Amino acid sequence: MSDRVAIVGIAQSKFSARRPEVNYAEMGYEVIEQVLNNTGLEMQKDIDNSISCSHDIWDGQTISDIGITDVIGGHLRNEEKVAMDGTNMVLYGAIGILSGEFECSLLMAHTKMSQTNRNIVNNDAFDPIYTRILGFDYTSAAALQAKRYMYKYGITQEQCAKVVSKNLANARLNPSAHNMGEYSVGDVLSSPVVASPIHELEIAPDTDGAVAMILASEKKAKEITDNPVWILGFSNCYDAHYLGDRDLADYMSLQKAAQKAYNMAGIKNPRREIDVVELCDAFSYQELLWSEGLGLCGQGEGGRLLDSGATALKGKIPVNPSGGLLSGVPENVAGLNRAAEAYLQVKGEAGEHQVGNVRIAVAQGHSGFCGQHHCVLVLGKE
Amino acid sequence: MTKKEKELISIPITVNVPYRFAAGKYMTKFLMELKNNGKILAIKCPKCGRVQLPPRVVCAQCHVKNDEWVELSHEGTLVAFTIMYLPLTDPTTGKPHKPPFVYGSVRLDGATSVLDHLVNIEPTMDKVWVGMRCKVVLRPQKDRIGDLSDIRCLEPLPGQKKPRG
Ligand SMILES: [Zn+2]
Repeated sequence: MSDRVAIVGIAQSKFSARRPEVNYAEMGYEVIEQVLNNTGLEMQKDIDNSISCSHDIWDGQTISDIGITDVIGGHLRNEEKVAMDGTNMVLYGAIGILSGEFECSLLMAHTKMSQTNRNIVNNDAFDPIYTRILGFDYTSAAALQAKRYMYKYGITQEQCAKVVSKNLANARLNPSAHNMGEYSVGDVLSSPVVASPIHELEIAPDTDGAVAMILASEKKAKEITDNPVWILGFSNCYDAHYLGDRDLADYMSLQKAAQKAYNMAGIKNPRREIDVVELCDAFSYQELLWSEGLGLCGQGEGGRLLDSGATALKGKIPVNPSGGLLSGVPENVAGLNRAAEAYLQVKGEAGEHQVGNVRIAVAQGHSGFCGQHHCVLVLGKE
Repeated sequence: MTKKEKELISIPITVNVPYRFAAGKYMTKFLMELKNNGKILAIKCPKCGRVQLPPRVVCAQCHVKNDEWVELSHEGTLVAFTIMYLPLTDPTTGKPHKPPFVYGSVRLDGATSVLDHLVNIEPTMDKVWVGMRCKVVLRPQKDRIGDLSDIRCLEPLPGQKKPRG
């Protein structure tokens, strides 16, 4: 049985608005081939478990991992799919190794948002009798959450827009990103309103791409690399499905997931001990709200934290130095991309968007509308 | 007393999600060759040598990248079949296939795996058998559209009789 689990390698797509030239197996194989080459591992010899992450309705295929079993090494071997955000596959993969069942697991998340329509796909996440019939989607639900959050804590439109300015500027330094640029708060607020208070530039764009990662037991990790990145803590937590069952300006499930992950990692003071955070800013306001849930500041202080400059690329606790989801990351893949970016930061291999020396990095992912389910990972050097 | 049915509410919703699926690099080549040149191309694993349909990026058995193309014969042997009495829907037209009809799996000469398709044959047990030799019938070139329906059906080769027993 392994005491610890490490990340020993990652590979990421150059994300793109559309990849019409590849099917999703070919897109997934690009990153699998790359991560195996990078680590020098072989599918048959080294990998004893494969985990994929995507979503049947996005993929347009029932049990959609049947489309990638060949490329992920699932042929006459074990393969399982996580149909939630990609952070959960890291948690799931780590548990498999900690149990002693596996030594070395290949993770691959993939989604082609370009092949269908996000509003229709996301409408299918709603209760068919109660809310689906209204045409609800993630954007309309997010707009309710944004409004509630802004009303309750006095978060301003400018503060939300500033998240976009920061992240799209960071994205210019990230070779995987496809949505980037220099946008002022005024530019963001002059983009069309999609669902008030949310403007077009405040919504993560449709994206195609894949991310692969390899997890290993402590023993195996030390054979593969001299400086593995350790998964020090993980946890996930669900909140109520119906929007009316919770105050959307709160984040009970994120707070609980974070607290458990921090306890596991021995983190007592997240504001002091965390060096960098990659979180799921599917909508601009979510970066502020999730910063609170992760304990980077107090309740209702997400806007002030941003205004203080602390979450900037060279700030005290940079958030989304990669550019986050706003820079273009597919749904489902988002969390594995957060974990991969956190891994690069701990390794000191994030290139131009490296934030400095990172001892502890946190990755957050959420599934479902308005962050119903959250997963938090703590990665570190030792 | 049981409840009257009218007291139960159920809401009819059609879950209608539009897709545009990329054929990908391998199937694009397969479909283009089929459409333009009437050829059926399979992919050969550089390691184990098996010749697979549909063509795909990786040999699952060896986990190596496929890159050798093999042209298959249009003739082959039926390895399994079924006479269908369900009017299954053709998803490209939304219309049902008219039962009874025959689905068959044919191993084209030179292939390791099979081609599954409709078999144009009288749907009775004495007219179709495992081991029957079949050929592929394509749409006339001018009518081909670049999807799998460019293969119209499988058809038995003439002059065969079902073996006894
Ligand atoms: Zn092979």
